[in-house]
Amino acid sequence: MDEAPKKVQPVFIHPIEEAFARILNFYGVEWQYEPRTFPLEWDENGNVIEAFKPDFYLPQQDLYVELTTLRPKLVRHKNRKLRRIKELYPEVNVKLFKRRELRNMMLRFGMIEEAERIFGTAAQEKD
Amino acid sequence: MIVEDLWKADKNNVLMDEIQSVYVSAENIQQRVIELGQAISRDYVGKNPVLVGALKGVLCFMADLIRAITIPIEVDLIAISSYSQEARQKGLVRMVKDLDLPITGRHVLFVEDVIDTGLTLNYLINSLRARQPASIEVCVLFDKNQHRLIDLPIRYKGFELPDYFVVGYGLDYHERFRNLPFVGILKPEVLFNRRQSG
Repeated sequence: MDEAPKKVQPVFIHPIEEAFARILNFYGVEWQYEPRTFPLEWDENGNVIEAFKPDFYLPQQDLYVELTTLRPKLVRHKNRKLRRIKELYPEVNVKLFKRRELRNMMLRFGMIEEAERIFGTAAQEKD
Repeated sequence: MIVEDLWKADKNNVLMDEIQSVYVSAENIQQRVIELGQAISRDYVGKNPVLVGALKGVLCFMADLIRAITIPIEVDLIAISSYSQEARQKGLVRMVKDLDLPITGRHVLFVEDVIDTGLTLNYLINSLRARQPASIEVCVLFDKNQHRLIDLPIRYKGFELPDYFVVGYGLDYHERFRNLPFVGILKPEVLFNRRQSG
């Protein structure tokens, strides 16, 4: 009997992405890792000079998910890209999970070590 | 004296020491639960619905809600494995306590304490739908939609919660704080101290 082909595990750039994928797997939610790049800016010759590749795509929800562990002050650039995506691709649904949201999600799922490792202590977060 | 005053008056209460502030008072919760019960009583007249809750977070809400419903109902509980270390090693969510009542052809109202990502609710609703109830609706007391990954229609909603780590009225942190009569914001330092102390 043929075995079903095993899904090839992608190489995640950040540990939070791997933790997120494990949660999705646990609840049986289908996902793809960085399946699409959205061009955002072009030069005068039509070459793409800025693009955005969301971390995950959930096909059943038709939802792209971007995770960031950057401190709030540093998220501005990412927010700008998301605004640009909404302007250029209004039919595309993208959700950004920021640092504190990810921390709370990890804690809700009992992943204290992951939350600690990625985000540091509460005192550091006050910076 | 209402139960919230009892808690605040207890100066040696170790749980209160770990709460930064009360976010939804016991009084406001009780008032909203009564409103939800009245709405359900109106909408389900003659339908003899089955209220289904998922252990353990729903305990407080379910206990109060069913006493605010003034029509005949039946109640059942379900439990699934949480995303604990052990469950993670097994890989997939699984049901650890199934319903006792058959729900095929019945009107089911799924009662939930909090909806966050929607992952748990989606799994449970799919599992219940497979049993072909006559209808299935969702009643949730607390909606944290900042983290929503899977959108599911919610027919009855109590409160929207911001992205704070809240506990109480059934919501726990490492199994503690469920017995608070209100919903409170946990002190940030408690979030990481639990691992060392507990």
